[in-house]
Amino acid sequence: MAAALVGPKEGMMARDPYEPSGSARPLSRRVFLARSAGAALAVSGAGTLLAACGKPEPSRPSAAGPQLASPEHPVTWPIAGDNQPIADGLEPERDAVLKIYNWTDYIYKKVAVDDFQKKYKKYGVKVQISSFNTMDEAIAKLRTGQVDFDLFFPTYDRLGKIIQAGLLRPLNHSYIPNIEQAWPVFKNPFYDQQWRYSVPYTIYTTGVAWRVDKVHEDVAKLANPYEALWHERYRGRVGLLDDYREAISMALLKNGITNLNTGDPKQVDVAKQDLLRLAKAVKPLVNVKDYVDLPEGRTWITQAWSGDMNNAQYYMPKGQDASVIRYWFPADGRGSVGNDLVAVLRSGKNPVLAHHFLNYMLDFDVAMENMGWNGYQPPLTKATPDQMVGDEYIPKTLATTVVLPQDFDKGFRQLELPPEADNLWNAAWQQFKAGA
Amino acid sequence: MASSTHVGGSPLPPTPPQKQGRRRRSTSGIRYPRWFWPLFAAPGMLWLALLFVLPVYVVLAIAFGTIDPLFRTPVPTWYPAWWDTTQLRVVLDNIFGPGAYLGPAFVRTFVYVACASALCLALAYPVSYFVARYAGRRKVFYLLLLIAPFWISYMMRLLAWVNLLSTDGLLDRVLVGAGLIGSPVNWLDGRPVTVVLGLTYGYVPYMALPLFAGLDRIDANLLEAARDLGASRARTFWRVTLPLSRQPILAGLVITALPMFGDYFTNDLLSGSPSTSMIGNLINDAIGTPGQAIQGAVLVVLLLVILLLPMLWYVRASNREGAR
Repeated sequence: MAAALVGPKEGMMARDPYEPSGSARPLSRRVFLARSAGAALAVSGAGTLLAACGKPEPSRPSAAGPQLASPEHPVTWPIAGDNQPIADGLEPERDAVLKIYNWTDYIYKKVAVDDFQKKYKKYGVKVQISSFNTMDEAIAKLRTGQVDFDLFFPTYDRLGKIIQAGLLRPLNHSYIPNIEQAWPVFKNPFYDQQWRYSVPYTIYTTGVAWRVDKVHEDVAKLANPYEALWHERYRGRVGLLDDYREAISMALLKNGITNLNTGDPKQVDVAKQDLLRLAKAVKPLVNVKDYVDLPEGRTWITQAWSGDMNNAQYYMPKGQDASVIRYWFPADGRGSVGNDLVAVLRSGKNPVLAHHFLNYMLDFDVAMENMGWNGYQPPLTKATPDQMVGDEYIPKTLATTVVLPQDFDKGFRQLELPPEADNLWNAAWQQFKAGA
Repeated sequence: MASSTHVGGSPLPPTPPQKQGRRRRSTSGIRYPRWFWPLFAAPGMLWLALLFVLPVYVVLAIAFGTIDPLFRTPVPTWYPAWWDTTQLRVVLDNIFGPGAYLGPAFVRTFVYVACASALCLALAYPVSYFVARYAGRRKVFYLLLLIAPFWISYMMRLLAWVNLLSTDGLLDRVLVGAGLIGSPVNWLDGRPVTVVLGLTYGYVPYMALPLFAGLDRIDANLLEAARDLGASRARTFWRVTLPLSRQPILAGLVITALPMFGDYFTNDLLSGSPSTSMIGNLINDAIGTPGQAIQGAVLVVLLLVILLLPMLWYVRASNREGAR
């Protein structure tokens, strides 16, 4: 789950990351959780209120319970009879308003709005971006059935649910030839075999980042680099991602447990105890502003998303160079990896244009321009480490943020957890967050 | 606030001398139907019903509701007879039971709020006292200064503090420059002091206004009388001014403490460390976690119940005062 962010390139000033939303450049997804959570609750509450005031009516799980996709158990989602892909060779809708529903600031407006409108000028298309801060908030809103967004950016651990709930439209591949530009694995990903419902958007790893001007040890050379986050000499300068899956996964990996979807109470407890020790030892800053806090020096060492570190270069204070930032991800690829998606919503009024948009975003030039803004790498074969570093999308000193195809073979995925396991993880996280 | 009984100069006409059937006679002799005056309260009541009573009911329905098995979102149970108290017991167990990990956050919240409220009072009382008694013609000007912080949103002001308190920020530079501290202090590394000061800073205007309003209403003749009867300045303050400002102090404490209990972003912005988590943070985290929204709602209900006690006490105290 990458944080959604922005790199103020293109002459934009590095604005205050706290600027309230409404302006072009605010917080990453979870920072504003607080403010959005109430709204999410209200939305879901109101939705159900409208739906029925009678007995609680849970949504229908599939006969065998919800299916959980994993690399070992890839899932091919069925295509319902009443929800068929669009026909081949249709003209894009005319004078349409293409509605995109995305994480806050996770797509470059110039690319998604201005350039796309120019490209499809002939059809008079207008693009409109709406944003959400959490997946729950987004899904709650989509489930009300009161919105007609065309495109949605789900995470793969929720894909199954929204397909089962009939929110997505299956894709017609004939409109998306650019899929050939993507890594071959995404033509048959485990979470959506035959890419029936989704195309990849970005890829990322989760590792440890630090500043060489403050941390006087080569974290990458340590026997267990995760352990550096526990070092008491960095007390008050340690950052941890405010994401229960990421934080607990990191503690699991530190202890050599590579099943990041474990439902074993003993293993979760090992991670929890270690995180409680971390809280005592270093009083970590727990948020999803790694891309701001590290360059600004509020933290010296932090758990970090690769895309965020790549984005951090735009947040260095004046006169300081981004070369002080380093990022470590296990060289053998045995760390936490993930990717984000784009899908077409069934509620949208412009399915043909939506397909064109998917194809457009998979184009190398478009995707790279987008990366130059949000820091997150698209999984395209032409986007090689040499090219990305050479074209200065990624600083030389941060070449470790490059995600390689083999990382996806060896890396570990955070998959959808069965409810019991999820409760276990949540309880551990709640205990950590309560500062017990 | 629900004080009001002791507020002077009621806009309502004097109570009617006698009832005449279902009608009242006003002083001017015009007859008003019985529902006429209560009607004035209708917009307020409607507002309260829509934006307070109904939302509280929704929170209750969620707190005692169920979880959607597929999406793990809360499914409210609207009918009270079907309410499920499992999560309430889980949360209570986590607060009071063995190995209760929510307990410390509750205790912490009470301590922080108590410290911050006391600080607010200590800061706001002298200022309000000065403005009410000695500002003379410049009273309005000072009053404007008191309200000035409200012109900028609380979040913006806190963000300014984040910059001022950062390691190479203004505060550290001043303190180090003046030789008061040897090396810069990292104020933002999860210090309770920073959070308490942040809360104090954020809510002190709410304390100052009711205090000013109360102190300003104290009849100067009473103070003069006390002095005439031989009381010293200090004695006048202790025996007359302070007892008379009991109600404003109470009002100020209630108005500042209540929102502080639910505050989460002071802590998020000025600390961000779990070691200073308050109840508001627990609620905020729970609501944002799939499958835990019910616990968030339960915490909201618990907080509501906890805060209802001082509120009722306050209402009772001011009623007594009004009856005096």
